[in-house]
Amino acid sequence: MSDYLDRFGRGMSICHRWPPLIKLSVAMGLILAATCTPITHGPLMGLIACEIFFIHSLARIPIAFVARRLLFFWPPLFLMALSLPLSQGGRAGWLMSATIVCRGTLSFTTALWLVNVMPFDQLLATLRRLRLPSVLLAILALMYRFLFVLWDELDRMRTARQVRLFRKPSLWEQWRQGAQMLGRLLIRALDRADRVHGAMMARGWQGDTRWLEQRQEDQR
Amino acid sequence: MHIQDGVLSPIVCVATGALSLSAVTYSLHRLKESVGDRTIPLTGMMAALVFAGQMVNFPIGAPVSGHLLGGVLAATVIGPWAGCIAMTLVLFVQWALFSDGGLFAFGANVLHMAVIGAWGGHAVRVLVQRFVGDGHRGIVTGSIIAAWSSVMAAAALFCLEFRVSWHASEIDFSKFFAWMVSFHSLIGVGEALITGVAISFVLKQRPELIWKMGTLASLSSLNSHKQTATGKSARPTVVVSITRTLAAGLIIALAIAAFLSPFASSFDDGLEAVLSKLNIAEFNLTPSVPGLFEDYDNVPVPIASWQTIAVSIAGIGGTLAVFGLALLLGKALPNGTVTLTSEATGE
Repeated sequence: MSDYLDRFGRGMSICHRWPPLIKLSVAMGLILAATCTPITHGPLMGLIACEIFFIHSLARIPIAFVARRLLFFWPPLFLMALSLPLSQGGRAGWLMSATIVCRGTLSFTTALWLVNVMPFDQLLATLRRLRLPSVLLAILALMYRFLFVLWDELDRMRTARQVRLFRKPSLWEQWRQGAQMLGRLLIRALDRADRVHGAMMARGWQGDTRWLEQRQEDQR
Repeated sequence: MHIQDGVLSPIVCVATGALSLSAVTYSLHRLKESVGDRTIPLTGMMAALVFAGQMVNFPIGAPVSGHLLGGVLAATVIGPWAGCIAMTLVLFVQWALFSDGGLFAFGANVLHMAVIGAWGGHAVRVLVQRFVGDGHRGIVTGSIIAAWSSVMAAAALFCLEFRVSWHASEIDFSKFFAWMVSFHSLIGVGEALITGVAISFVLKQRPELIWKMGTLASLSSLNSHKQTATGKSARPTVVVSITRTLAAGLIIALAIAAFLSPFASSFDDGLEAVLSKLNIAEFNLTPSVPGLFEDYDNVPVPIASWQTIAVSIAGIGGTLAVFGLALLLGKALPNGTVTLTSEATGE
């Protein structure tokens, strides 16, 4: 169930077996390099792109998947980047939008690689080792768990709404129904948080979270 | 709304990162001191709710649809501190699962959506409630205006960050900013509509769920833990209300500044003087093309007036729409006050 969000996170390629901190630093280094390279240094950009392609292929992430994600990623970026030269014209404007698009694409693909070689529990363990406040980590861990619960709840509500509808609602109706669905989901979510809190109290929870660090280490 | 890496310069990323780091740390501090352990599951659930709520599509045209941003909604339900944390985590999970928004631009994204959304939205809502009243009508009106102005404030801040990032004197940013403002005023109206309808729905069904000053998370059935919730309600009120008014003023000023940002290119010289003093000029990564600089001074008049008209239409239309919305939704509600009784839940 939890795997449909980070689909390739559980692969066993060489990239997946790197220590988490190495993965994080590789990704950060590449993104930093991509965001600091001027567009006029073409070869350097190409080198970074090659490296990103290399680590993607090492991690056995299918190129079709990356392409599909780029398809969703590009339109807003292009819209933003192209509005400058289109409203203005001139070489500087085009250079700037090319810079934005190149850097954005390179760093997006790098982040995509990191996301897909690092499953969420490993990310949590890494953040814990980086001394993130434990309250924040506990909230984050619970949020990740609740995410799937609420997603399913939302799915059920959507199905129920579709079953009850006989005709296509008007635009205003769709907006109103969507917002009301959000409100109803909110009420159910808060009630569930209440029950979860009760259950946690009943099991002797005292506000601090214990982590199965060792187990997570063994899994890798 | 997510800013990708490569849009802002490293200096701006560091500055926004430091700002939002301190804001989140302060929120965490306030969260820890004001409430008991129930915050943790509650904030986690709220963050998950905002994340899932963004999957509900609101159709605009045939292929385009909008979604909730959620900062004001989170702050209205669980308060500004927990709301800021929840929004930060939403942004983090969006980055960690979908790589939405950049890694280095994460600070800017947190600043725009979590800090302005939750802190600023809450401040604006409380300010509006002072004039409209603390009843349901006040909450809905306040949250609608807060949602709209938080989006506009984020847009204004983005324009500023973008201008500082691209220290390219030969580019006239005004049209880009006009486009950004018009676009965001649409987003803001959508956000205000969604937030307003969702909150008025919750107020009709379960009014005790809405956050009240000094209490946390008026969760219904476990009222035995109320002492942890109401214990710290006597905060130093004078200081807090002054800072809150200041925050609200800042957000509203930013929202108004969004409409001025297209005209801000006349301040370029001053900004550049400051930048060169700070020695940020090295981050000018685009080569300067001197031939284009002459065009910059004599912008053709029709284009300039078009821009003024577009921004004015966006501004006036957006403001009118939001205030009309606030009035309509507020009228539809009884002006009762929110009570914290467990009987109201009907459970």
